[in-house]
Amino acid sequence: MIIVDKLCYSSRLRYMNAGEKFAFAIITLLICVVSRSILCAAVILAATAILTVKIGGIPLSRYRTLMAVPLTFILLSTLAIIVNFSHTPLDAFAIPLGSIYVTGSWHGIYRAFQLIITAMAAVSCLYFLSLNTPMTDILEVLRRLRCPLLFIELMMLIYRFLFVLLEIASSITTSQRSRLGNKDLKTAYHSFSNMVSVLFVRAIKKSNALFDAMESRCYDGRIRVLNETFPPKAKEIIAIVCFEVFLLICIIGGKLLL
Amino acid sequence: MSIIRAENLHFTYEDGTEALRGIDLSVEAGQKIALLGANGSGKSTFFLCLNGINQPKEGTLYLHDKPYDYSKKGLLELRSKVGIVFQDPDNQLFSASVFQEISFGVLNIGVDEKEAERRVEEAINELEITPFRHKPTHFLSGGQKKQVSVADILVMDPEVIVLDEPAAALDPKHTIILNHLIEKLSARGITIIISTHDVDHAFAWADEVILFHKGKVLRRGTPEEVFSAAEDLEKTNLAKPAALRLFDNLVANGVLDADEPIPRNLDTLEMYIRERRK
Repeated sequence: MIIVDKLCYSSRLRYMNAGEKFAFAIITLLICVVSRSILCAAVILAATAILTVKIGGIPLSRYRTLMAVPLTFILLSTLAIIVNFSHTPLDAFAIPLGSIYVTGSWHGIYRAFQLIITAMAAVSCLYFLSLNTPMTDILEVLRRLRCPLLFIELMMLIYRFLFVLLEIASSITTSQRSRLGNKDLKTAYHSFSNMVSVLFVRAIKKSNALFDAMESRCYDGRIRVLNETFPPKAKEIIAIVCFEVFLLICIIGGKLLL
Repeated sequence: MSIIRAENLHFTYEDGTEALRGIDLSVEAGQKIALLGANGSGKSTFFLCLNGINQPKEGTLYLHDKPYDYSKKGLLELRSKVGIVFQDPDNQLFSASVFQEISFGVLNIGVDEKEAERRVEEAINELEITPFRHKPTHFLSGGQKKQVSVADILVMDPEVIVLDEPAAALDPKHTIILNHLIEKLSARGITIIISTHDVDHAFAWADEVILFHKGKVLRRGTPEEVFSAAEDLEKTNLAKPAALRLFDNLVANGVLDADEPIPRNLDTLEMYIRERRK
């Protein structure tokens, strides 16, 4: 989570118009999920990987690790689709287990593969967005899309204070460790619970101090801020449109071939 | 004419702590004021009063000789004229984006977006924020966060800027940068009030020094006056500035003449000694 945040600020695509990146990610994701086309998903996986790693400059090893996380989850959950328990063996494989079979069909394997690749393609779209766009830019796009202001203000403050509170938590933990606060499991649990309660108190104090500081800058219950936006480029928009059209052609082509 | 005046100011917190017990002072426009005093002497509480966040229980504050108006409109005007830079930037910066952060105050006082953008750019330039303007606030160093929190206030174009221990937790290099930036603000005609524990800096920099002690003004005057009052310094646990102490010693030992103007920093004192040896 924190790594994603660090990476997005160094991405070479960071200063690309956030609306374009958002539109690309969401439209591609929708096409992928709705069509469930394997060909289309493969194209998306390749495209987002190239965009994020090659053009955005996110290290390949990081990208692989990040993709491996959802992949593990998806593989585990698709096992249920592949593996069946049945009295009659299915066509792909069948392992007899007493009176029943642990078995699977080719159709099931195909469905599982389709699910894995489309899910991963959808995840890669979201990774493309979050690895190349800082949170504040995404919030600005949401604001333009008329997302309720309350949500945006909450997200903005939560995002900021996530880091403030994490820093406090880590410094408390460090000082506990330097006093042998984790010498055995029991002490470690105890230290952790102390840290959480101190963190809670600090969070309340911080929120009061923040409110005072905002009041002193004439806060009236609405957070008004200016955003630096980077103008959209015609070339990029055309490229996005072409890509989406290409995806649609892939889907139709794939349907016709089958 | 004073820009800010406090008359018999009392403030008590909800838990019964009497933080201010009768503050009387006035600040002239364009002055550089250093507020000194032990922790808990009421400096921060006083600052929050100046900005209308704390409403005094007793006594009155005046801005341009008009008593503070605590109505919504009055507070808006007050806070656009008197700005506070808080001690801990992490309590002040609410946005992850430097640009958003700085634009907050100026939009709140009703400046239109175009003008606000111009002012934000100007503050970024003036306070030398350009090299890290695109970094998120959580990756900034302490000194950089401080620069942003000063810009937060500067964009509102205030007449008075109050800085609560601006050099706290800064390394010497960033302290020098910050002092240089504060000097720039002062040169623009902004009245600066800072609280500090650094007697040497207060002695060299301030036009007027105010000593706070247990919620009261113990002494105020020129830096030379205040820092020569040994008894009051002892009461507030402050040491004499190095330049003054050395100067007094050299005068007592007959190295320098007592009628020379008191040197406000070590460089001036060094010059005296060099001239004397010639």
